[in-house]
Amino acid sequence: MSGLARPFLIQHLLERSASESPGSMAAKSGALQLSYGELDSLAGRVAAVLQSTGVRKGDRVGIYTPKSISSLVCIYAILKSGAVYVPFDPDAPSERLAFIAKDCGIRTLLSCSLKMKGVDGIIAKGAPIKTVVQIDSDAEELSAKASYESKGVRVVSWDEASRGDHSPKDTGAIETDTAYILYTSGSTGVPKGVMISHRNSLAFVEWAADCVKLTGEDVVACHAPLHFDISTFSMFSTCGAGGKVLMIPERAATFPAELAALIEREGVTVWYSVPSVLTLLSLYGSLQKRDLLKLRAVVFAGEVFPVKYLRQLMSLIPHARYLNWYGPTETNVCTSYEVPPAAGAFLTSIPIGKACENTEVFAISDDGKIVTRPGETGELYVRGPTVMQGYWGDQEKTNRLLVPNPVKSPVEDKVYKTGDLVTLDAESNYLYLGRRDGMIKTRGYRVELGDIEAAMYSHPAVREAVVIPLPDELVGNLLHAFISLHDGAKLSKEEIQSFCGTKLPKYMVPDSVSFMTSLPKTSSGKMDRVTLTQGFSQGKGAA
Amino acid sequence: MKGSSENDREAERLIEEYITKEAVVRPELLPLGRDTKLIESGILDSLSILKLVAFLEEKFGIKVSPEDVVSTNFETVGAISRFISGKKGT
Repeated sequence: MSGLARPFLIQHLLERSASESPGSMAAKSGALQLSYGELDSLAGRVAAVLQSTGVRKGDRVGIYTPKSISSLVCIYAILKSGAVYVPFDPDAPSERLAFIAKDCGIRTLLSCSLKMKGVDGIIAKGAPIKTVVQIDSDAEELSAKASYESKGVRVVSWDEASRGDHSPKDTGAIETDTAYILYTSGSTGVPKGVMISHRNSLAFVEWAADCVKLTGEDVVACHAPLHFDISTFSMFSTCGAGGKVLMIPERAATFPAELAALIEREGVTVWYSVPSVLTLLSLYGSLQKRDLLKLRAVVFAGEVFPVKYLRQLMSLIPHARYLNWYGPTETNVCTSYEVPPAAGAFLTSIPIGKACENTEVFAISDDGKIVTRPGETGELYVRGPTVMQGYWGDQEKTNRLLVPNPVKSPVEDKVYKTGDLVTLDAESNYLYLGRRDGMIKTRGYRVELGDIEAAMYSHPAVREAVVIPLPDELVGNLLHAFISLHDGAKLSKEEIQSFCGTKLPKYMVPDSVSFMTSLPKTSSGKMDRVTLTQGFSQGKGAA
Repeated sequence: MKGSSENDREAERLIEEYITKEAVVRPELLPLGRDTKLIESGILDSLSILKLVAFLEEKFGIKVSPEDVVSTNFETVGAISRFISGKKGT
């Protein structure tokens, strides 16, 4: 088979491990496990079924299920079929998911019985879905099938999909073809799709495997949801190394004490998540009662890890390596910093470190100069093979953020403009300072404040709406909304929160709300965010 | 002095009221029943559980340890209420 000596498509990582050690465990979730041989052949059969239902190279195929071992099968099946996988947030409202399906033209969706109601909602809201592959089978399936078929939607059962005995046809895909699209919050109220090619992803997952020194002995936890790029490390780097991926379902991570028990029980050796999960584990996971000697590397990314909680975690699990990875979804990961064992004492904030191998990063100050010394600040730019192809269907936005290299080059050279402000420390590590725009992080997720405001404005009672971030040690930021209502309109905090919950993922719903008769404006007529933020910190207007 | 089942009902009412008000609940899941799956349906997540624990400690005068915060004690309003009466009994 091609690509085994030098993988150039993501699925080659799986295929190589399956040919070298078919009997080794590839993935586990709950009581279910699959060996490399099983995972590869199952994914191949599902891929063949996808092709037989009309999926062609470059088509976008959605995945809409809670996280499980089947989701891993689905991802590899979609890639093997030559298509592009688009993971849906299983908890996002159907309106938002329908937008995504329409935006990138998803005609085929992999889903499960638990989510069929959601599938109905997505189709009812105009998604162009023509085929649904149900990745679990249950008794109600037949009746559901009939009702879908009356709407012109074909339902393929898992039995049908997994019992096929064909291998997928070679699609002739190459490394610069798109592998997946991850949707993130957009400032104008609609999500934007970050297109990552096989090469973009492989450049990251192969670097990451080297950085953590993954081997076939490793058990790597996949804690992040599939629509979050953190998940690609565990799913792809681990398969490349022949180790075992532990797929952690969303709900299994709700209770820190249970999560800590799971890490111990499954012998997790490598962990990668957002810092807030690690903070909760160190505060409420009773880690001192767990035997976590096997846990040899703890990697975090997505937001700033408060030093005091990192210090606490390092004292509870002193033998592990600690790595801080940085990179917007658009760049996979572009810098890395290994926290020295005794760092707790002197660090005030954790640097994002230096550029990964085969990646270049540089910062440019407002007056156009490259930042070279501590104390100078500038916006970070990223150049290298991990940088995305662009935003799906949005050339204008792509051109705005994927820009010609400001450092003159004789050939055409695009770099990603992160919008992140950084400086350097004395050891030439980059330090993250903040954002240039209205994007914030909460629970590790990127959130555009304008996205939330647009959702609130769509409520008929809302006249004006502004959302401000309130810094919070556990989750990075809590969200506070200021709202004024149309004359005579009535709206409670619970009502607007619940309304936002039908438009936005839960982590984007404001945590608290203040109602005002009108919101303050600046002299130019814009919403006065500064006054609102200051008013809040002085204790005015909280609810 | 109220009977224990009456106390349980009162506890359930307070818990349900708190969750309805403080957690973000999709309208189709309301009103919450004592057996509504709070974790499975995504009504409670790790963060809202922390706030709920603080509320329970204050309202019912109990001390909740990290080991108590597990799915069997928090999966439904009924389970939370049973957990509280167990805590009060000890």
